[in-house]
Amino acid sequence: MLLQNRVKELRARFNLTQEMLAVKVGVTRQTIAAIEKGSYTPSLLLGIKICEVFQVKVEEVFQVKVEEVFWVNEEEGER
Amino acid sequence: MKKILQPAFLNIITVILFGWALITLFNTNEQFAKIMENPEPPWEITINMIPILTFFVICIPIAIYLLVISKKKHKNLWKALMLPPELEEADEREQLITANACRSSYIAMWYAVPIAAGLMSFYPLLKGQIPYYPIIILLLIPIVQMISYFYSIQKQQ
Repeated sequence: MLLQNRVKELRARFNLTQEMLAVKVGVTRQTIAAIEKGSYTPSLLLGIKICEVFQVKVEEVFQVKVEEVFWVNEEEGER
Repeated sequence: MKKILQPAFLNIITVILFGWALITLFNTNEQFAKIMENPEPPWEITINMIPILTFFVICIPIAIYLLVISKKKHKNLWKALMLPPELEEADEREQLITANACRSSYIAMWYAVPIAAGLMSFYPLLKGQIPYYPIIILLLIPIVQMISYFYSIQKQQ
């Protein structure tokens, strides 16, 4: 499972730089960059703080992407 | 976290110079032990001051520099003095990075210490050629610890 986010998009919409958003939520700029890149999954608290800045619901910013799984029926050979 | 290689390099230099100074101290104590076997004068002890002076001349500025960096991060002087500067955690992501680096460091110790203990068993064989062998082995442990810690931080960034 991957946590996708729209932080970069919302930040651009709100005309905020990474540094400005970082100051607002109390983290470093590198952390915002890592969240946008998807290399760091923020804590629930940080996620909520980011959503408060953009005044949107958590699910509007963060979505869980479930990797598609193909089940193979061995008997029938169906996918 | 930005300049992580700098404290790594300074720390390793400090440990190496400390080891060099300790070897000198070891040689001095060895001479002193021989004198104690027969304390009748005249006797003399020769101390090579170069390693000790080098340690102080190089490591005091390093210590002051690291303390100044540490003081910027930790307002508390006690924390700045006692905590290594590489343990900087500005936010939750850096806390996670440090936690992972500590984990790597712990795993490295898990292997390094038994290996070091095993290498110590060769001391009777090497006693003649390298009398200060235990100092080298003991100081290799923090060097392994630091390398694994910094390597882990470098990898996570």
